[in-house]
Amino acid sequence: MTLGSSGSSVVVPRNFRLLEELEKGEKGIGDGTVSYGMDDGDDIYMRSWTGTIIGPYNTVHEGRIYQLKLFCDKDYPEKPPSVRFHSRINMTCVNHETGVVESKKFGLLANWQRRFTMEDILTQLKKEMAASHNRKLVQPPEGTHY
Amino acid sequence: MGGDSAIEESEGVNVNINVRCSNGFKFSVQIAVDSTVSSFKDVVARNCDIPAEQQRLIYKGRILKDDQTLRSYGLEADHTVHLVRGSAPANPTGGTNTSSTNTNTTTNNARGAGANEGGGLGGLGFGASLFPGLGVNGTGGNGLFGEGFPDLEQMQQPFISNPNLVREIMNSPTMQNLMNNPEIVRNLIMNNPQMQELMDRNPELAHILNDPSTLRQTLEATRNPEIMREMMRNTDRAMSNIESSPEGFNMLRRMYENIQEPFLNATTMAGNTGNNNAAVSGTHGGHARDRSTNPSTTSSEATAGSPLPNTNPLPNPWSSTGTGGAQNNPRRSLTTGVDARQQGPTGLGGLGLPDLESMMGGSAMPDAALLTQLMQNPAISQMMQSMLSNPQTLNQILGANTEQRGMPDLNSLREVMQNPEFLRLFSSPETLQQLLSFQQALMSQLGQQQSTRESGQTGGGTGPMNNLGLEMLSSMFGGLGAGSLAVPNRSNEPPEQLYASQLSQLQEMGFFDTQENIRALIATSGNVHAAVERLLGNSGQ
Repeated sequence: MTLGSSGSSVVVPRNFRLLEELEKGEKGIGDGTVSYGMDDGDDIYMRSWTGTIIGPYNTVHEGRIYQLKLFCDKDYPEKPPSVRFHSRINMTCVNHETGVVESKKFGLLANWQRRFTMEDILTQLKKEMAASHNRKLVQPPEGTHY
Repeated sequence: MGGDSAIEESEGVNVNINVRCSNGFKFSVQIAVDSTVSSFKDVVARNCDIPAEQQRLIYKGRILKDDQTLRSYGLEADHTVHLVRGSAPANPTGGTNTSSTNTNTTTNNARGAGANEGGGLGGLGFGASLFPGLGVNGTGGNGLFGEGFPDLEQMQQPFISNPNLVREIMNSPTMQNLMNNPEIVRNLIMNNPQMQELMDRNPELAHILNDPSTLRQTLEATRNPEIMREMMRNTDRAMSNIESSPEGFNMLRRMYENIQEPFLNATTMAGNTGNNNAAVSGTHGGHARDRSTNPSTTSSEATAGSPLPNTNPLPNPWSSTGTGGAQNNPRRSLTTGVDARQQGPTGLGGLGLPDLESMMGGSAMPDAALLTQLMQNPAISQMMQSMLSNPQTLNQILGANTEQRGMPDLNSLREVMQNPEFLRLFSSPETLQQLLSFQQALMSQLGQQQSTRESGQTGGGTGPMNNLGLEMLSSMFGGLGAGSLAVPNRSNEPPEQLYASQLSQLQEMGFFDTQENIRALIATSGNVHAAVERLLGNSGQ
């Protein structure tokens, strides 16, 4: 998210970037199968976010709604947010005890770039659900949480 | 984060809310932000085909609760709410819910009973159950023994709804005998051509399946959930250890691709080509149903390219009346017209198998065509041969609940069952076919006699009727070249001793004429129910 011309670039401050993402979440711009928004409207640092992923078709996740917690620390978007599943899920990149998405096993977080957004994370996780090594894994009962 | 002025402005006034369905379809509705979520769902239901009680609305990553207002979630004009079709609510009457609108097509195994949640690739080895087709996770799977099983979807329904059924069956003497003889299980598995092909490609898998202790352990795990859980824990631990070692993850992946995927496909998809969604560990993908075969599909819904899913319920396969649209029920009940009190023995001749008739579609006897199809499966005929030729199994079968079954003369029955000629006949599909047609004829005769009988006379079929049945039976066996089946005469024990327990039961019921009771018991071979029918019939004359 850099602006500028003739070699000079302006880095968009964290707050503006997060406000932009908030608006996208409210207006539903982008992929219609993921949704996200702020947990606490009074948090001036806009750190805690909730996301949902609607399970992709033709997988064991179809028809399920997975809730996630995203935490954007003060160094976001330089550093990726921490992502944790609230709904139980069986996926190769998700810790089975805590529900935390492990950066090493999830390419987007492992190779994080400043231009990536929370929507990108949710969309990529959804693609990961539909990947051949995840789409058939036996899932915990729906409605269970970490 | 919207300003207060915007909220005040929209108070009591209808605002435009965008609704986005999971299939990409988008529309707008007008509603006041002070409205509750449930009233919003009602408005949405008018604009799409999802009823309010099945809607799940998501806004800013949160699932909206019915009793909250839209304002409490910060919803404002031109904001977008995501709409997902949720599960249909549980049927309050406890009846069968025929609605097929639940989009969650997976059978989710409970955490403690079969869902493998450990390990990177989940579900390897016993975690996904070594034999998903055997119903190890409490859901009977199809296809392990190859083709030839009729209506397996229906047969497995009782297992899915009642996991204890599997345990009961596994505890029955027959299954215990099967567990002590892994050779039978191995033969059954090897009859599946896909499994043979898999073993040719993976000799190490053949070693596992040829190891009796592994087979016995798997069958034991089916019976005992504690052992199953322990196995899963061990598997998960082993997998995480492998995964942590260098190249371990790749090895697991290779194992998954080369062994587990083909193995599961062999066990869950054999003879089931309509299954597009390859299922894992007893989790069956939905069978692709042609629109034309769904009698409740209207012409307007059958239009190609419609983005909205068909919400019409599929016909209920269990109901005998047409509850789910027009239904063609292929099964004819063979017991129409028979006195409702004359019930056959429950289970499978005292094997301890609970309510097998419900597995066979609800009628008292399976359709002849279905049974023939079942008997022509080499795996089944082989299993019957091995079970019938094993004297221990026969003794267990004959020894179970004999008093209740009205079979006092056990030795004669045992001799018949151990007669090799009888066994040969009994295990041939032709004989079973003839037996079924004989029973059908007998039942229809009984039905006719029942309908013509006077209202005061309620007894079962008497003299001439029984003779007719015996003549048909003897002619049938004669035609098959059975000759004379060596059935020894009834034992010389006096009837007072022979039917002592039955006599006491009859006296408790209020039948005090001992001689009359003995006559009735002799005529009915000790069957108390039939004797009561007979006594009541006599008293009515």
